[in-house]
Amino acid sequence: MKRNSTISGLMLLLFFFTTNAIAQNVALKGKVTDAATGESLIGVSVGIKGTANGVQTDVNGAYSISVPTNATLTFSYIGYTAQSLPVNGQTTLNVLLKGESNELKTVVVVGYGTQRKRDVTGAVASVNGDQLSKQPVQTPTQALQGKVAGVQVLSSGQPNSAPILRIRGTGSVLAGANPLYVVDGVLTDDIRNINNNDIVSLDVLKDASAAIYGVRGANGVVIITTKKGKSGPAVVSYDANVGFREIASQIKLANRQQYVDYLNVASPGKITSDDKSPLTIPGTTNWADAVSRKGFYTNHNISVSGGGDKSTYFISGNYYNEDGVIKTNNFQRFSLRANNDVKISDKLKFSDQISLTRGAERAVDIGAVYGNVYRAAPIIPSILNGKYGNTSAWSNVGNPLLQLDKTNNFILNNRVQGNVAVDYNPVKWLTFHSAFNLDARFNNQKNYGYQFDADGNTFTVGGGNQRQTNSSLFVQNDNSYQYQWDNTVTFDRTFDKHHFTVLGGVVTEKARSNYINGSRIDVPANQDQWFLDLGNPDLNATNSNNGSLFTRQSYIGRVNYDYAGKYLLTGSIRRDGSSKFAEKYATFYTVGAGWVISEESFVKGGIFDNLKLRGSYGELGNDNIDPSLFIVTGLPYQPYYFNNGTLANGTIIQDIKNTNLRWETTKQLDLGLDFGFLNNRLTGEFDYYDKKVSNALTYVTLPGILGDPDNRFITNAASYQNKGVEFALRWRDNISPNFSYNIGANISYNKNTVTGLNGGQALNGGGANGQTITRTENGQPIASYYVLHSTGIFQNAAEVAAAVPNSLEANHVGGLKYEDVNKDGKIDANDRIFAGSYQPKYFGGFNLGVNYYAFDISADFYGNWGNKIYNGKKNSRGSANDNIEAGYADARFTTAKPSSTDPDLITQSTPPSTYFIESGAFLRLNNLTVGYTIPNAISKRAGISKFRMFLTSQNLFTAKRYSGSSPELFNTDILSAGIDATNYPVTRTFAFGVNVQF
Amino acid sequence: MKKIYQKHSKLLFICAAVVASTFSACKNYLEVAPQGQITQDQIANDPTQAKNLVTGIYNVFYIGGFDPDITSLQFVVLSDIASDDADKGSSPTDYGDALQVDNLTTSATNGIVNNVWTGHYQGIARANQALDKLNAAQFDAATKNALIGEARFLRAYFYFNLVRLYGGVPLLDKVPLPAEANDDKYQTRATADDIYKFIITDLDFAVGNLPDKGATDVGRATKTAAQALEAKVYLYMKNYQKAYDLSNAVITSGKYSLVQDYSLIWRQKAVNGDGGNNNNESIFEIQAGINKSCSAGINLYTVSQGPRAGGKFGWSDLGFGFNNPSLSLVNEYEANDVRKAGTIITIQPNGTRLFDGFRIPGRDSVENDRYSYKAYHSRSAEDNCGGNTDRLPKQVRILRYADVLLINAEAAIQIGNVGAASTSLNLVRTRAKLASVAPSLTAVWHERRVEMAEEHDRFFDIVRQDAVQPGRAAAAFTAHGKTWSSKNALFPIPQTQIDLSGGRLKQNPGY
Repeated sequence: MKRNSTISGLMLLLFFFTTNAIAQNVALKGKVTDAATGESLIGVSVGIKGTANGVQTDVNGAYSISVPTNATLTFSYIGYTAQSLPVNGQTTLNVLLKGESNELKTVVVVGYGTQRKRDVTGAVASVNGDQLSKQPVQTPTQALQGKVAGVQVLSSGQPNSAPILRIRGTGSVLAGANPLYVVDGVLTDDIRNINNNDIVSLDVLKDASAAIYGVRGANGVVIITTKKGKSGPAVVSYDANVGFREIASQIKLANRQQYVDYLNVASPGKITSDDKSPLTIPGTTNWADAVSRKGFYTNHNISVSGGGDKSTYFISGNYYNEDGVIKTNNFQRFSLRANNDVKISDKLKFSDQISLTRGAERAVDIGAVYGNVYRAAPIIPSILNGKYGNTSAWSNVGNPLLQLDKTNNFILNNRVQGNVAVDYNPVKWLTFHSAFNLDARFNNQKNYGYQFDADGNTFTVGGGNQRQTNSSLFVQNDNSYQYQWDNTVTFDRTFDKHHFTVLGGVVTEKARSNYINGSRIDVPANQDQWFLDLGNPDLNATNSNNGSLFTRQSYIGRVNYDYAGKYLLTGSIRRDGSSKFAEKYATFYTVGAGWVISEESFVKGGIFDNLKLRGSYGELGNDNIDPSLFIVTGLPYQPYYFNNGTLANGTIIQDIKNTNLRWETTKQLDLGLDFGFLNNRLTGEFDYYDKKVSNALTYVTLPGILGDPDNRFITNAASYQNKGVEFALRWRDNISPNFSYNIGANISYNKNTVTGLNGGQALNGGGANGQTITRTENGQPIASYYVLHSTGIFQNAAEVAAAVPNSLEANHVGGLKYEDVNKDGKIDANDRIFAGSYQPKYFGGFNLGVNYYAFDISADFYGNWGNKIYNGKKNSRGSANDNIEAGYADARFTTAKPSSTDPDLITQSTPPSTYFIESGAFLRLNNLTVGYTIPNAISKRAGISKFRMFLTSQNLFTAKRYSGSSPELFNTDILSAGIDATNYPVTRTFAFGVNVQF
Repeated sequence: MKKIYQKHSKLLFICAAVVASTFSACKNYLEVAPQGQITQDQIANDPTQAKNLVTGIYNVFYIGGFDPDITSLQFVVLSDIASDDADKGSSPTDYGDALQVDNLTTSATNGIVNNVWTGHYQGIARANQALDKLNAAQFDAATKNALIGEARFLRAYFYFNLVRLYGGVPLLDKVPLPAEANDDKYQTRATADDIYKFIITDLDFAVGNLPDKGATDVGRATKTAAQALEAKVYLYMKNYQKAYDLSNAVITSGKYSLVQDYSLIWRQKAVNGDGGNNNNESIFEIQAGINKSCSAGINLYTVSQGPRAGGKFGWSDLGFGFNNPSLSLVNEYEANDVRKAGTIITIQPNGTRLFDGFRIPGRDSVENDRYSYKAYHSRSAEDNCGGNTDRLPKQVRILRYADVLLINAEAAIQIGNVGAASTSLNLVRTRAKLASVAPSLTAVWHERRVEMAEEHDRFFDIVRQDAVQPGRAAAAFTAHGKTWSSKNALFPIPQTQIDLSGGRLKQNPGY
């Protein structure tokens, strides 16, 4: 044995010696193409094994390199299996690279590091950037809709709105239920500044593996990684799409005749006395149409990326401009990004990832506008010869179009987000990483209200109460910065079959924000004069300024261990210190284990390409609360008067605070199975989870003797549970190099329950007219509808006479019947029942993709079912002269046409009941895209390496049961989720776009 | 390997140092003071702030409306509407909770009973907070004791209302620590005797340490105010000697006299030096004013009692129409008693002209027959905050000299000092343009009723008189068309509060 090794050592030495001695260089050429499609691959790294030398393929996939005749070349390309081929003296070496169909080799980002997908023990989902950027939407989260099991996305048609994300259900009511976002290591709550085209991947930590983000991981974590340059010639990409958005499904309001008929019942005499007045016009005003339009949008992206041996760069610019579908609403965004890597030496790397964004928005107060759209009389013109119809003179609401035109709320958001980092590898298996992250925002708002009177200058006819006697200006500057300094050490080493990755680190954070604002009246209407100094300083002038500050200090640690790629163990811990609490420190952890069954000899080579069983359990937190909620504070400047008119300033200490307030705690169990069959053409995952939230913030009633003004305080009392299963399946196949397709589907089931209020108050959520509509009560899902049970319509006087008295609304023929649930012989608030919630039992999506020669087609569907919507707009009537919905106008009870389903009248005193509750189930074609790529041979002549054109439509059609315009409701107030009151209309988009690469 | 470390030892050291420094350097990094807020610790260390805490107690008088209440509509419900002096008023069905009280059928779940309870404990909490911080504050002794005296005077007033409304209540003599708040000591009722003793201790201190009228800001508690309140408390405790002595001290201080024109007592502005805010007769009065945010007035006090449109409507009315002087009260006045017109706005068939010239239309456009004049605040002749009617700056008179004279007269009768009784009683009658009468309990009690009508005193007074002369309450309510039972002497402990105490608060008998 000893002798042998000596001999082989000698031979090796000899081999090297001879190699060096006799090596001759040859000029080698070749082309690298995709094994499946035959497409030439650009930017493939071609390296000479054992040296640092290498080149990259050009736009035609060609390379040329001078190599020793006996060298071995390596060909590597992201997304493809690397190949090593000996030169063997050849002068031409064409290579076919196979796409990495094996998902297990994919890398996922798990927070403060990456892991091979195959080694992951938690529930982590990844979405490629191109899946996001192909959709004509502003935010990456909106594009995520229907793509990931367990992630529910609710978006709005309003430009620049941040979609609501619920990862595995609603886990908090008062501390926020949105996930944490991490953009290239920057922790943030808002990613509207991110250009979708800059994203290389989006990873979602759904289970306790988010514990590496400790006190902010409870609602899950969305990690976004932006693009980096690749060594090689500069690649210039231009991606653009232009199109328009329209209201997907316009609400149908009663027309003139329906309104007049209704008014004769609701407001008898109104029409006969006033109809001939010059207020009204013949025909019908559709107020929903009057305030809306088609909104055009454009989205242009240009990026340059590339690099040399020592450095790479990615620079991109984006211009986005969208007109909202509500008149006057507009949003523009410019963003710039520079992501650079510089290798100072083999061991030292410097990098930066920085984005600058400027968002400019003319906002609309959709609540105020739609509140009036639903109610405005259709017999009044919206605008006629430059003068507005005077709805308020008709004892009705204000003219919503006038509201829009007479307000200019301009908001400017400037943001710098990014980091600079140093990575130091003294040895290959050890990495020191230090990153300084910054997220700074500088915002400016000017909200101007024009002066107008209720006279003939503004209106077709004077009168009414819609007027702004004085112009008004509100100006606010606010800025905030959050910095975060990450220092980590990663140890990554294999000993025989044992592979360890160990991470340790410290994270320090500080966040400060402040605002200053003022308001004045009588500021001139000229936009150049919209400054506080031009307003009246003496009347109704206000100024305000305040700020907040908090810090965090965290220690993190994680160990990943695998044995022979079969047995996986993960443990992570984060000790989080937060200035928000009296008890500063808390520890969060996760433990996970995985068993790659397909690596076992008894399975290997069988039908499974991949089969992995995994499980994780851990504890996470949520500290997303007001920083000084636990500190007893005084309220100064409470007035009192002495000496017949001298103001004295009193101070009071009155709010009872829980000085021992703590973070909310989530304990989550996840069990999962990953599998791949048939050459990994069929892959999928199955997950079961049980997520228990305790110490959730809620209001607890205090005894009156403590003197708290509202007799309640916020404390950690409630517990919630989200329990469910997720299932995702994907099929992909290449039938020929020119024909491939894929199908994917995912479905999630979630059950949300308030498991204990523990002395806390049941929280009420409301709707129009300040009514209680939802209640968050023991044993029910969060924000369950809590309303009367309507059982039909009184058809005749005998039924009314037989009914129990109703203390909320007078019983009458044509009125709603309600069930006397508690059998006390009267209908009142005690007869309310729980009637479902907006949280879907099931939600999911499926998507199809086909590549056929130069064409590509993809379709993404999204839907949910098992949830309910409260049609609050139907119940938003505030006065007898308000308009109604067309559907209701047709269906309602009249003496001539009795109805057994819809009452004769809906007034502001109609109590919330199951009558207003409808099914929220829907299925929507979220995105349909058809693309055509000009064959390489043609585009090449123009010096273009890739030219693709596409047509795309977002939200092309929706199958729904809900009578309102959209079953997707964007309500940021968790307790009002599901109440369709004054939501910004959901839009449908048609767009044309190009992807060009030079 | 070794070589690597040597080569890079410098860098390694730097890395290690970076990591280590972030571990250690930030010991106080997480101690962040709240931004833009004043903490209670900062208040405790700042004498100005501690002083402002006392002013902050007075500010609690502005609460009310349909929220926790001390002196506004709901206290009016429990003191006037509950009595034989007033009917609920407004439209017949409006405000069912007030109707319960008016009909002597108040239930433990009645919202008014709860709001008045919580309102008074808000006042007590503010007083206790101020006392807590004052005790630690660095002041000269006289200033400090005067401030403590003000806080204790106000606390005594709040407890005096509570003990008269509910009997024994939980006794909070300080701000309980969070850990103590749930102790039986706070969650159970002290006896009415204990509460009275506590009130006396507070008032003794106040009498001993408060400055005289004129030596402090107008509107702050004074020594004589404390004496007047203590005299009244002793009257309720049937300690007539003390009641006499203290009321006599107020009288002999020479700092007060009766307003000549009874109807001017409740006006904002004096007429020819007579009446108006903080007039010669006023001993303690809630101060109001006009500030930028229109927050310096009692919420809904005036507007809730203002004349209300009804019938044919057609006018911009003055209020919600609650607290209508009752027929029983109208009948109590002797002929020629000027106080009747000073107390009651009587709606005339063809319109009613008020002192400021405002004309209420004819009876067919008004909801009720009578309204309280004492709660009226003129929209034209008196100040308001930019048309805000919710918080009109009406200064409610809490203690006035006529009350002290009648306390003095009653106490004098009880201790056999007929001469003093006669003097005090007839001073009040003379001002009312009535002939003198011989002093007797009946005469004083009649005088108290008409003199103090609609001043939130009658319910407590009739209950007190009933304890002196059993049967008086039943008779009075019979005359008022209501049925009195002994349980009505106290209001129920609010059920919400019983529940929150885990049942440790025990209900009053009969509820």
